[in-house]
Amino acid sequence: MSQATAERATAGATDEPRAARRRASWRRNPWRKPRILEAVTWAYLAWSIVPLTVAILISFNDGRSNASIQGGLGFTWWWSDPDSLFKDPELQSAIFQSVRLSVATMLIAVPIGVAFAIGLDRWRGRGSGAANFTMLLSFVMPEIVLGVAMFMVIAFVLTFIPLGTWAQVVGLVTYQVSYPVIIVRARMLAIDKQYEEAAMDLGAPPRATIRRILIPLLSPAIFASFAIVFADSIDDFVTVRYLSGPATSEPLSVKIYNFSRGSPTPAINAAATLLMVATTLVVVLGYLGYRAATRGQRREGVQGLAGQI
Amino acid sequence: MTGHPRERPSRLSRRDFLRRSAGTAVALPSMSAILAACSKPGSEPAREADLLVPRPDSPVTLPMNGDPIPADTPIEDGAELLIYNWDAYLYKAVLRRFVEEYSDHDITFRAITTFNNMDEAVAKMQAGQIEADVFFPTIDVVPRLAVAGLLQPLNHELIPNLEANVWPVYQNPYYDQQWRYTVPYVVYNTGIAYRRDIVSDDEIRSLDNPYDILWDPAHEDRVGVYNSYRDTIQTALLRNGIEDINTDRQADLDVAREDLLEMIDLVNPRDSINGAYKLLPRGDFDVHISWSGDIAAGWGYVNEYTRAEYEKLGYWFPEDRRGNVDNDCIAIPANAPHPRLAHEFINFMLDFQNAMDNFSWVGYQPPQNETDVSSLTSTEGLYSQVSGWAEPAEYVLPWMSDAVIRREDFDVGFRQAPLAPEVDDRWHEVWQQYKAGVDASG
Amino acid sequence: MSTRRAERQRIRRLTEPEAAPGGVNLPRWFWPSFTLPGIVWLLLFFVLPLYTVIAIAFGTVDPVLRTPIPVWQPWWWTTSHMTEALDKAFGIFSPVYVRTFLYVVVASAISLVLGYAVAYFVARHTSRRKRALLLILLISPFWISYLMRMLAWINLLQPEGYVNEILTFLHITPEPIGWLEGRSITVILGLVYGYIPYMILPLYAFLDRIDQNVLEAGRDLGGSPVSTFFRVTLPLSRPGILASLVIVSLPMFGDYFTNTMLSGSPNTTMIGNLIDDSINTTGQQAEAAVLILILMVILIVPIWYYLRSTAKAAEAR
Repeated sequence: MSQATAERATAGATDEPRAARRRASWRRNPWRKPRILEAVTWAYLAWSIVPLTVAILISFNDGRSNASIQGGLGFTWWWSDPDSLFKDPELQSAIFQSVRLSVATMLIAVPIGVAFAIGLDRWRGRGSGAANFTMLLSFVMPEIVLGVAMFMVIAFVLTFIPLGTWAQVVGLVTYQVSYPVIIVRARMLAIDKQYEEAAMDLGAPPRATIRRILIPLLSPAIFASFAIVFADSIDDFVTVRYLSGPATSEPLSVKIYNFSRGSPTPAINAAATLLMVATTLVVVLGYLGYRAATRGQRREGVQGLAGQI
Repeated sequence: MTGHPRERPSRLSRRDFLRRSAGTAVALPSMSAILAACSKPGSEPAREADLLVPRPDSPVTLPMNGDPIPADTPIEDGAELLIYNWDAYLYKAVLRRFVEEYSDHDITFRAITTFNNMDEAVAKMQAGQIEADVFFPTIDVVPRLAVAGLLQPLNHELIPNLEANVWPVYQNPYYDQQWRYTVPYVVYNTGIAYRRDIVSDDEIRSLDNPYDILWDPAHEDRVGVYNSYRDTIQTALLRNGIEDINTDRQADLDVAREDLLEMIDLVNPRDSINGAYKLLPRGDFDVHISWSGDIAAGWGYVNEYTRAEYEKLGYWFPEDRRGNVDNDCIAIPANAPHPRLAHEFINFMLDFQNAMDNFSWVGYQPPQNETDVSSLTSTEGLYSQVSGWAEPAEYVLPWMSDAVIRREDFDVGFRQAPLAPEVDDRWHEVWQQYKAGVDASG
Repeated sequence: MSTRRAERQRIRRLTEPEAAPGGVNLPRWFWPSFTLPGIVWLLLFFVLPLYTVIAIAFGTVDPVLRTPIPVWQPWWWTTSHMTEALDKAFGIFSPVYVRTFLYVVVASAISLVLGYAVAYFVARHTSRRKRALLLILLISPFWISYLMRMLAWINLLQPEGYVNEILTFLHITPEPIGWLEGRSITVILGLVYGYIPYMILPLYAFLDRIDQNVLEAGRDLGGSPVSTFFRVTLPLSRPGILASLVIVSLPMFGDYFTNTMLSGSPNTTMIGNLIDDSINTTGQQAEAAVLILILMVILIVPIWYYLRSTAKAAEAR
């Protein structure tokens, strides 16, 4: 045998045990890369995201089925068919209602919540515990309890509030107001009081101090609150369903629920996709605003947001 | 000029006020105490109870809770017609035709507010949640809504088609004598829809008790019932030969309850409201309780629009026609924003051609005098004609002839009538136990 | 000596509550007044509705219209609805309660195992860039409608949908399975799918904060990765696990739409369905109010635990 073949022979003879040794040492190595965990993570993400991509794909279905693609892809259910998204006034009014509700909720809940957070943080008296407790309770209460309670109070007590958009906004704000409070309070713990104190020492009245020092310092949390409240209320279902009135006050989430047990056309997938794209845009804007506001203090980014959820 | 319908003096306005004020200020220990204190002793509560349970042999004239709108009320210009209806119960093409016909009044229409079942509809109307011009109730809720002041009386001068076109059996119906609040919309009967490729026509008709097919474990996981307490409980009653489908006897209800709970164990049924016309043709169910109109419209929901696929849809109703035959109504809610337009719409729907065209899509037959019922299984309707992508279909496919309603059916069939509140509660109890999947008692 | 006094002064300054900015120039009610809009709102639209539920649960029902009449004064309360509902809860409806507990426990357990694995991986084993991408993907379900995600699954689980196509193509099952025909497994997996993000993110945040040094110490001292995990990491993450379990199971108890959308059979009814059905039925709305109260009683322990741990965490910070 030549030298090379001999070497190859001996190499081949030790290949098997070497591979086995490699595997064993991988198992025993405390610093090894966690292949199994990584595989599980990616598998979970696939399980989480693939159904959505399929649903988006089906919105471009040419055929009528919403279970599988038939006949190729096209914009049938976006604007060609009479029942498509752009031609069906019912779906459009649902989308407008979703957006309307979330904008209104955002514009009401965030200011109330921010003010609440500022007050709670600085309140040294006895009432602060009760206020804090009530706010936390509203955060942790299952939504069906809130939804049913709000329906009962509006149907049988506060009957001057008509069921429909007004009632839905009231319910949503109640459900969402705790988010800005929690986010802003977390942020308040991180900011330094010395800037405000300095401003007041220099003679600034409290209102100006708040407007020009405190709010800008809180702006990352405020941006995050706007984005989160918007995203959370645009998809809300339980509360808005109990408080809905005429058809025009049913947002898209309720329409999806009503249609899901029938055989809906892919137009509903198109509507849901449109809303999802719009929400993603808003969330991205909120995040960019958050980053812009934390310029110079940034050390967390996405992780900071994740930690606050 | 009459005020808003809600402001008209009505016999119930005081109770309504008390009911509402009870929520804000004072607690009322019991409603009957208030009634006794505020109303004429003895007479009111007794008549109330009778009003709510009309029967074919004891018809009821509902009290007028106000005046109908005057005949010279102008049609509301620029109005948006608001409709509160079941899903898929009104042909949009006919609706568009109405909007066009009244285009010089600038009428528009956006969306139909739908409800999933009559319980939900009534609950929402009682909560004041709904603002609609026209509403499509079933008979059993009409007296209750009228007595509660939630419907407004009709002005018959504005709906001449009613007396002219509609079947004699509906001239002066038992549940609403003189047609004070309602007009009939469509007629139907309640039977069982089935897939003819899985259950043959002979198979179901040769059973001793065809209702048993819904309890047949061979169709496990593929049996459907309606998400409607009256129709599902009634099916169980009829299966046991109980012909009083408005029974108030607890023994009957117990039998029905046991049967339904047994059904859960035997076949794992699912409830739906559109299962007969949407899901059965699609293959989700083998058998499903069905109204005749649902299965008649089923051909519009098959996977491929060929005669071969249409032939897979079947319908059974008792041969002696001793089953539930009934009608639905159109009414105008008391708070309708456009009552004059609503009257126009009702009259429009009672026109022969409009009613038949609606029938061709909805599947439910209108009680029109001009209809030749024997030709329904051989004539193509408007919807089929305009559906170029589907093979032609008759108003009622020939192999579902049980779904054609004849005037004589009303002589032998059983009508669903309103139940007394206390009886209704007990029916709802049975339904609640079925939906909760309670174990059948040993 | 002086150092000890200085030490004591330092400790006193640290433990004294910080004075709010502005000091003596601002009235005492200045900062608390900011909470006024929030408090008024919560009183009117949170506390009042909850009391209304109680008032209806112990109230009466109109005999003709069968609508509930709230009774505000506790001395005029009637307990008939409550006793009736409790009778049913321990009697004929007990399968529903048991089933709900079962579903929530199984779904929470699956969420915990899967969620912990994912959270652990993302928290401890990813580089900054990869982590940002993974976090974005993990947060995304929060702004994608729950309903749309369920709709996506309904599409996939149809008899002719892609799940069955793949299963029959790979010959895992001979025939298409009726996933949506009223099966418990579909509902449980639906609950997991819908709520697992509520498990992963808090767990991630918690695991992220665990000091890397402690874990490294375990490994340095010769523990294998597995034993380090069980003897160091897992005990350290216990508070995080409990908090996440509470967050993920609370909404599951009140869920009704997952069952309605994915099943529709009486064999999979949950407590939420009992509530939803009765609120939509005339004459049963008082019962709905009682069911809500029962639900709150069932959940009071996890809610109280969560509130207490949040308060403790806030103090610690």
